[in-house]
Amino acid sequence: MNPAISNGGRRSLWVLFWLLVVFLYAPIVILIVFSFNDSEIVSFPWLGFTTRWYHEFIAEPTILSALWTSVKVASMTALVATALAIPASIALVRRRFFGKGLVSGLLLAPLVIPLVVLGISLLILFNFVGVPLSPYTAAIGHVVIAMPFAILTMVPRLERIPAALEEASRDLGASSMTTFRLITFPLLVPALISAFLISFTISFDELVIASFVAGKQATFPVYLYSQLRLPERLPLVIAVAVVVLVISVIVVVISEVGRFLSERRLEAQTGVAAEEFGSMRTGKG
Amino acid sequence: MATGASAPAAVPRRRRRRGTARVNLGLLSVPMLWLVLFFLIPVILVAAYSVGLLTLISYDKYLSLQLWRDFLHSSTYLGGPLGHGLFWKSMKVSLGVSITCVILAYPVAYMLALVAGRRKYTLLLVIITPFLTSYLLRVLAWRVLLNPQGVIQEVLRGMGVIGSDSTVHWMYNSIFAVYLVLAYAWVPFVALPIFVSLESLDLQMLEASSDLGASRWTTFRRVTLPMSMPGVIAAFVFVFIPTIGEYVTPQIVGGKSGYLFGNVIQSSFASSFDWQLGSAMSMFLLITVAILLAIFGRYLNVRTVAE
Repeated sequence: MNPAISNGGRRSLWVLFWLLVVFLYAPIVILIVFSFNDSEIVSFPWLGFTTRWYHEFIAEPTILSALWTSVKVASMTALVATALAIPASIALVRRRFFGKGLVSGLLLAPLVIPLVVLGISLLILFNFVGVPLSPYTAAIGHVVIAMPFAILTMVPRLERIPAALEEASRDLGASSMTTFRLITFPLLVPALISAFLISFTISFDELVIASFVAGKQATFPVYLYSQLRLPERLPLVIAVAVVVLVISVIVVVISEVGRFLSERRLEAQTGVAAEEFGSMRTGKG
Repeated sequence: MATGASAPAAVPRRRRRRGTARVNLGLLSVPMLWLVLFFLIPVILVAAYSVGLLTLISYDKYLSLQLWRDFLHSSTYLGGPLGHGLFWKSMKVSLGVSITCVILAYPVAYMLALVAGRRKYTLLLVIITPFLTSYLLRVLAWRVLLNPQGVIQEVLRGMGVIGSDSTVHWMYNSIFAVYLVLAYAWVPFVALPIFVSLESLDLQMLEASSDLGASRWTTFRRVTLPMSMPGVIAAFVFVFIPTIGEYVTPQIVGGKSGYLFGNVIQSSFASSFDWQLGSAMSMFLLITVAILLAIFGRYLNVRTVAE
């Protein structure tokens, strides 16, 4: 007897699972379908297939410039957040120091701060210091919220890299820097890529902080949000939305699958796989 | 670091230990500095600003608790009978949304962690992917579905469930829409910590429980559920806290009756110049969050969130 589930229970849980999948994906699929409807109203009746909303958006310079602003902000954010998360994760995983709980609390605190509070705080900071608002100030804010995610991506990977490898390197005479460059960093690369992509998507999607501190040069979500007041713009906005959504899903899936595969390879290389195998076997019984 | 090429074995132990402190400082200084400059100091500035220790725009009051008093006593925001006021409305919505998410996500996380077998990570990715795509666009999708001319209401009209001229008012620009869309947006995220806590469960404990004669239901109630509580609480807190300040979803699908505390804060900056009042309110929000974290903080560690 499987103590976790009966056969009937198994079936109903599968049904629940697929219901949740439908609930999660149906709105997105419907949005995509109706973005091809030849109608000013994004709904029934279906007036024929068209790609004109897509053509119109490609010809619209304000949308393209908002997208470009977002790409710039997201690239800066991802670069800085990833770069800052490397030393922070190493300190959290490999080092022992006084006040570690406090430090990790501060590093992860932005995860649970209502974004509206952070947006206002940054607005007041930049006003107080006299820094003009720009895509750069938005990127500064985005780094704050992306860094915890970057750290959370790297910490599990670092924990799986045996510290013995680094100790061996140091025993053989390499400095900490050399050890990092030749041992830790290469093993950390897959997590770095994931952290970069996650930070990028967080920043690219972020509306609240950007609307407070991006200034006059709107990022894509800020632009999209401002267009919602004009119903006649909705089909166009949705066409752009669909393109961005599809691209972001592709990026996310690739990065997650890549991370999973590299994780397995690392396990095979370092031999932690035995433990996983054990739990998998009991999982089957 | 300059002496990196020389053999470290030659370095006396004492100097290595002092070096350790320097390494820690070196590793943590820049990330911590960033958070101090762009997270801690700004928050302190908002606190100072809300009581007029500093002023920014011409409407600002210098050294005054009046805005805090206004806010704490106003019946629209907080005061009046307990449970009225927008702050409490926001708390209720967040509570409802978090509970709904946990109830929706728990059975699925349970299925993935304990029943699904080897495909569990792939299927988990299927659940989580929507969370990693644009929040704004997912909310927008519901606007397309729910509005009076939207897909759902047109289908209902077409099927004759509602008259061809009538609309379902509670479906759009309503508090229902806010609940629905927020739950939709956060369910994938909730599944994750619950999955992690269930996955790390030792299956031999479940076997032991059943060997000792417990039914599956008893095993679940006495073993599985209590042991997954840290994940459940982490999931709950991770939805509850960010949604208290939510204003985007209410603005897109909530209309007037979906107006929440976050909307007042946002509009005090975006459409009126009540910056100090807005600051006082966001400080109040932050204090609420801090209290919640103090209560639930011990369940929130790297383990429960990291995949």
